[in-house]
Amino acid sequence: MRKEAWFGLSMMALVIGLVFYILPAPSQMTNGHLGLMMLAMIVVAIMLGFPTAFTLMGLGTMFAFFAYYSENPATALPRVLDLMALRAYWVMNNDVLISVPLFVFMGYLVERSNLIGRLYKGLHLATSRIPGSLAVATIVTCAIFATASGIIGAVVTLMGLLAFPAMLKAGYGIRLAAGSVTAGGTLGILIPPSVLLILYGATASVSVVQLYAGAFLPGIMLAGLYVGYVIVYAKLKPSIAPPLSEEDQRVDLPKFAEIISRTTSKNVLAGLIRAIKGKRNADVPMRTLLNHLFIALLPMLAVALVLGSLYLVATAPVEAVPEGVEAMGIAATEEKTQAEAGDLQEPEVSGEEAQTAEAGQAEQTAEETKTPAEAKPDKEAAATPAERNRVPTWWWVTSAIFVAGLLIFYAIFTFVRLEIFKMLLGSFFPLALIILGVLGTIVVGLATPSEAAAMGSFGGLILAIAYRQLSFSVLKESVFLCAKTSAMVCWLFVGSGMFAAAFALLGGQEIVNDWVKSLDMTPTQFMILAQFIIFLLGWPLEWTEIIIIFMPIFLPLLPHFNIDPLFFGLLVALNLQTAFLSPPVAMAAFYLKGVSPPHVSLNQIFLGMMPFMAIQVLAIILLYLFPAIGLWLPSLVYSNQ
Amino acid sequence: MQKFLLTVDKISTFVGKTFSWLIVSLTFLITWEVFSRYALSAPHAWAFDAMIMMYGTLFMMSGAYTLSKNGMVRGDVLYGFFPPRLQASIDLTLYFVFFLPGVTALCWAGYRYAGESWAIWEHSSITAEGPPIYPFKTVIPVAGFFLLMQGIVEIIRCIRCLKDGRWPSRIEDVEEVDVDKLKQLVHVKDEDIAKLDEFVTAKEGGER
Repeated sequence: MRKEAWFGLSMMALVIGLVFYILPAPSQMTNGHLGLMMLAMIVVAIMLGFPTAFTLMGLGTMFAFFAYYSENPATALPRVLDLMALRAYWVMNNDVLISVPLFVFMGYLVERSNLIGRLYKGLHLATSRIPGSLAVATIVTCAIFATASGIIGAVVTLMGLLAFPAMLKAGYGIRLAAGSVTAGGTLGILIPPSVLLILYGATASVSVVQLYAGAFLPGIMLAGLYVGYVIVYAKLKPSIAPPLSEEDQRVDLPKFAEIISRTTSKNVLAGLIRAIKGKRNADVPMRTLLNHLFIALLPMLAVALVLGSLYLVATAPVEAVPEGVEAMGIAATEEKTQAEAGDLQEPEVSGEEAQTAEAGQAEQTAEETKTPAEAKPDKEAAATPAERNRVPTWWWVTSAIFVAGLLIFYAIFTFVRLEIFKMLLGSFFPLALIILGVLGTIVVGLATPSEAAAMGSFGGLILAIAYRQLSFSVLKESVFLCAKTSAMVCWLFVGSGMFAAAFALLGGQEIVNDWVKSLDMTPTQFMILAQFIIFLLGWPLEWTEIIIIFMPIFLPLLPHFNIDPLFFGLLVALNLQTAFLSPPVAMAAFYLKGVSPPHVSLNQIFLGMMPFMAIQVLAIILLYLFPAIGLWLPSLVYSNQ
Repeated sequence: MQKFLLTVDKISTFVGKTFSWLIVSLTFLITWEVFSRYALSAPHAWAFDAMIMMYGTLFMMSGAYTLSKNGMVRGDVLYGFFPPRLQASIDLTLYFVFFLPGVTALCWAGYRYAGESWAIWEHSSITAEGPPIYPFKTVIPVAGFFLLMQGIVEIIRCIRCLKDGRWPSRIEDVEEVDVDKLKQLVHVKDEDIAKLDEFVTAKEGGER
């Protein structure tokens, strides 16, 4: 047997020995002590590798029987059975957990739609001027793709196949390359829509809507910190991340674009318009020119759309929502005409998908502007219901910023950039639209998380169809994988429900509570201790187990220390991410190792992950010091609903 | 014996796979309901009950399937390092200590629970005139029964492993991270990865 196994077994023996040492003699044992014993047993039993759901179910049943038996032997059995049935039915009848299979299904579909390669290529060309562009593009690709699919293993493997070789070939340091793939891939755990937050919401009875709103900014912040680190590092040490060679940066222009940019103008707008107006100097079909002009004008349309709906919302007399809906309708038709008009090589965003996603966007903007609109005294609105409100100053300011941005954009919009833009249009935007559509409808309250998840799955189906990746076998695989993952998670809930009930019956929770309270800690100390314990648990256990089994032990303590369960959940989510990157059990590293060239050692990958782990710790500290990062968005949503 | 194992595996897999298609109908049902509520202003009172029932049935009935594919989450930090015989003996003991009491209790509890529901022809109380929920509650004992059958098969597997010193085979199934499939998806071949090694070794030489 291996050394590791002996080490583990002796650790387990140590735990058991300690428990027996601490517990009083059997004659003085109370039920509460039994509860503690149960807790120690669960840790040992999980380490032994038996399927956790059944460990929990078995232990829970036995100890619940024990607890009831000590009260009244005659009714013990029926009461245990009632408890069991109620616990199982609670999971089956749970309107929060219903989102789990739906989001998982969406994840598998998005993963199979195979957008990742295109996305990576587009992004790294778009960022090619930035130092460490390949690593930056890797992190951004991972963040977007992992968010939409949520399947860490698959994202890290795919990026290990695509981005890792590209970075090695470009002469990047192995550690930086490995670190950016693994760190980026694990972002999907945190950035909503993530399954982790649903499980936390179900365990802690915190609204998933608020968790999603809360985790969004910290997730973006973490991704931003990663990117910032890579850029600074690459700037300081160019040898570790050399700039791309001219050849790698080159984008092949289609023939007509090459002709125009050579003869007329490099700028897209000027070139296209002159080519359309003037005598056509080459054999360029008018249709191609018009199509490309339309694509080039898309950003302007988008800005006009946003400003228009902002205008409608801002000046809306009483109700903001119907205007938003109207704008949505326009958005949908616009997108549809675009889909019809575009005869592109890239498959276009299909109508329905654009509709939901645009709706999400419009809603988000509507959401942002609601506060000022509602702030206006109701009387005024009631007095002049028919008239539109005056255009507020902020609208002019926003418009000015948008227009200035557009002008700059078009000034530097060359044909090369048009090609990159087209590439992103086919990969980045559909994914971003799905994510924002799902999140937007949830946060604004148009749909419950489960409804948004279902529409996300539907969007995933359409995405897979649009990219010609959906075959019956792909659908079958996604369906079966989804069933297995959901069964795994939900059966864990059935087991842990029984376990937690037994733990509470025996009074184990009270002993833990009393003990923690007797330590006389400050909230800060408690928070640090709790996060540290969770971090340690993250080594041997999966995050599902930590959330489902151990969170219920921490949660009753939160009111005592005046800690918001929502805030605690955000910290836990950030914390559990580090578990994926902390050696020696970091799953991400093993997934990457599985597809990397033989001479890349596990140690190199671990070393590469270290700086990113440090950044995660920094992010936890930042979030703790400035809770507004996480709590600002939920408070905004709350005040609106 | 192997035939018996595989037969039960097949039954569990068949049941699980059949019910796993509920996810597709669940997706369509909810999407349609949302569409119908916003676009047609015609929400359906029964939709919520139907959603919950589809979800509950989906995961409960997939339990045995997941167990038969070894898909239930385990703490495999140490387990992975154990030799097969030790793995089997631990599993065997714990199947008797934890699994059988727990799942038997589930079956029995579910039987009583569903029985009470059938006795009063219980209907959902979420909305007025809710749909009947006694079939939904019946899912608990049925899923428990399949799980129990699969558990017995797993016990036999453990015994066989104790005898032979290696785990008996399982039927192949889709994996969450199927590296070969992912390689195909992005058109990367093993030779390409091997070729990369020159960059790695060159880099290492430079760094030292």
